[in-house]
Amino acid sequence: MLSDFGIILLFILAAFAFISLVLFGASFLRPDRPNVEKMSTYESGEEPVGNANVQFNIRFYVVALIFVLFDVELVFLFPWATVFGQKTLINETKGLWGWFSLAEMSIFVLTLALGLAYAWVKGYLSWVKPQQKIPTVDTKVPQSLYDQVNKKYQPKAKASQPASGTV
Amino acid sequence: MLPIILLSVFGIVLLFMGFLKSKVLLLPATLVFILAALATTFMDWGKTYLYFQNMLLTNNLAILFTTIVLLSAFMVVALSNSFIEDEQAQPAEYYALLLFSLVGAIMMISFENLIMLFVGVEILSVAMYVLAGSDKHSPRSNEAALKYFLMGAFATGIMLFGIALLYGATGTFVVSGIKSYVYTNAYGVSLLLYMGIILLLIGMLFKVSAAPFHFWTPDVYDGTPGLFTAFMSTVVKTAGFAALFRVLSVSFVGVYSFWWGTLAALTCLTLLIGNVTAVYQTSFKRMMAYSSISHAGYLLIGLTALGTQTKQALVFYSLAYSLATISAFGVLLVVSRQRQDTNGVNENFDAFNGLARQNPLLGFVMAVSMLSLAGIPLTAGFWGKFMIFTTAADKGIYWILVFAVLMSTVGIYYYFRVIIAMYFREGAAEPVKVAPFYRYVLIAATILTLVLGLAPGLLEGLV
Amino acid sequence: MQPTQQVSIPELIQQVPLNYYLIVSTALFVIGIIGVLTRRNAIIIFMSIELMLNAVNLLLIAFSSYRSDSAGQVFVFFIMAVAAAEVAVGLAIIVMIYRNIRSIDVGLLNKLKW
Repeated sequence: MLSDFGIILLFILAAFAFISLVLFGASFLRPDRPNVEKMSTYESGEEPVGNANVQFNIRFYVVALIFVLFDVELVFLFPWATVFGQKTLINETKGLWGWFSLAEMSIFVLTLALGLAYAWVKGYLSWVKPQQKIPTVDTKVPQSLYDQVNKKYQPKAKASQPASGTV
Repeated sequence: MLPIILLSVFGIVLLFMGFLKSKVLLLPATLVFILAALATTFMDWGKTYLYFQNMLLTNNLAILFTTIVLLSAFMVVALSNSFIEDEQAQPAEYYALLLFSLVGAIMMISFENLIMLFVGVEILSVAMYVLAGSDKHSPRSNEAALKYFLMGAFATGIMLFGIALLYGATGTFVVSGIKSYVYTNAYGVSLLLYMGIILLLIGMLFKVSAAPFHFWTPDVYDGTPGLFTAFMSTVVKTAGFAALFRVLSVSFVGVYSFWWGTLAALTCLTLLIGNVTAVYQTSFKRMMAYSSISHAGYLLIGLTALGTQTKQALVFYSLAYSLATISAFGVLLVVSRQRQDTNGVNENFDAFNGLARQNPLLGFVMAVSMLSLAGIPLTAGFWGKFMIFTTAADKGIYWILVFAVLMSTVGIYYYFRVIIAMYFREGAAEPVKVAPFYRYVLIAATILTLVLGLAPGLLEGLV
Repeated sequence: MQPTQQVSIPELIQQVPLNYYLIVSTALFVIGIIGVLTRRNAIIIFMSIELMLNAVNLLLIAFSSYRSDSAGQVFVFFIMAVAAAEVAVGLAIIVMIYRNIRSIDVGLLNKLKW
């Protein structure tokens, strides 16, 4: 008599057997004639650009850290929820239990919210704006003229930002 | 358990006080907060209470350890006036982290449930990881933070596995529950329990930096900014030994014969490595790191010879050690900052050259602290060692006693190097400037050390 | 056993002998320890530590359901939450180091000598 886990084991074995059978069978039957076009990453002709191993911008990292922290703290809400909703406990205490546990969890969540507020005031939640990089050209025209032109044609919304960047 | 709640709230308050324009208020506010927590600690004096559904237990011993921890923290914070002037520093965050780590330390001291031990250890350690790396642009501080973090997390993992095995063997996390399991199953204790004890001990010994789990200590103490090193070597160590004492004296006292041999061997190894390696150091801060390892060894003697005298000896020794360490680091901080060499702050022995001539006060403070650490009579350190050695003699473990005395003579050599540098070497001509409040803190620590050295009976009968 | 029959989670866990859980989690734990001791990349060391913590979680859950005692599961919640806090601090430290030395190889960290 197989237990439930025995059945799972059989499934795993069967899956491996099936996959290897199909793959080996196919490789025996099919013709094998590779060429450059076939070996490219996208057969549609799209050229891949750069390496997949690029580094992500640091701004993702801060947001991810804050997310991880607040996400995992939620784990405490699950056991609390099962106790909070117990009818017998609420009836025994004439509803006092509900208020008590609600207050406890409010304290917990409020403390977390304080942490979030701290991160917010510190400015970790605002999306870091990329720094403008102004290209330089080796000419005799002074930088101030360029700045004037830049100022003139800048979109109105960004007018408050100083246009002169480091070169 | 008011101090835990108060310190948590105060920590959050401090975080938000950091948004104020003026940073003048931060230091006095932190000092007041710590004093408030200290005052509320004594509300439970003379009674034994269980708090939060058997999570924490306060008794006189826990209150005394809490007092030591809070007192050390108070002094460390009082010595931190340099943060306010430093542009890079973020004093509000530092102080908040210090208060949070104190919460962890108090939980480690007064836990009744192993869950609280774990949470306390983690609160303390995570705050310390951040503080170790607080000098963000210094590669040494970075390296210290990473090493401390990796080793600390590793130790926590080992400790947790031990706790899990203990739970498997006994079915409870409550310290007294494990004790009753050990007593009721005196002959058929399961193998899981033994494995659990060993892993839990390894994890805790990592935290208090006992050999052979000490290898992270010199690097971390050396790289961490000096003030936080002082905090680490006093608060973390005191809390760690309080936790070890509670778990060994309550839960595992029934299987004393199982663990005492291992612990005795580790004690000797710790004493040997700490004292002998300290001799070869050129940096004072590294020497203090090895000295802290060797003091962990002396404290371990008290645990190895677990008896009725142990708690008093541990309390006295950690108080004496904390006072001496803080005043030593206090002197080191001002001296190293004002006598810089080509590498920046000079933390070597030669920074102290001729200190006693230019600054007789600093010289005296340092000399007393070194004498106390070495265990010379008329200082608190002597009585601390005396009490520790008495516990070993009472238990009849004489070989460990002989070894420890031998090792403390080695200790005299490297502690006296500082005194010789201060009193007999020629050094820089200009005296070191010390702020008035800073001076008062150092004087207070020195006076306490001397008072405890002259009247060791002051703490008697409290536990 | 009938597949249609409703089985509670503790019963399901108890279909595997306790020793097996002990062996699996010990194996995971040892793999974690070996990872910490042999790897040089800080992130991988860190992942090995997380593996150790998860071995502990597995063991606690198994003990907890075998003893019908909820304390073990509560402990697991605490381990998860604290581990997340540790992850945040640890990654911050690793990023700080990466910014300064452009590498996370722990072998390169030798400013502080034994």
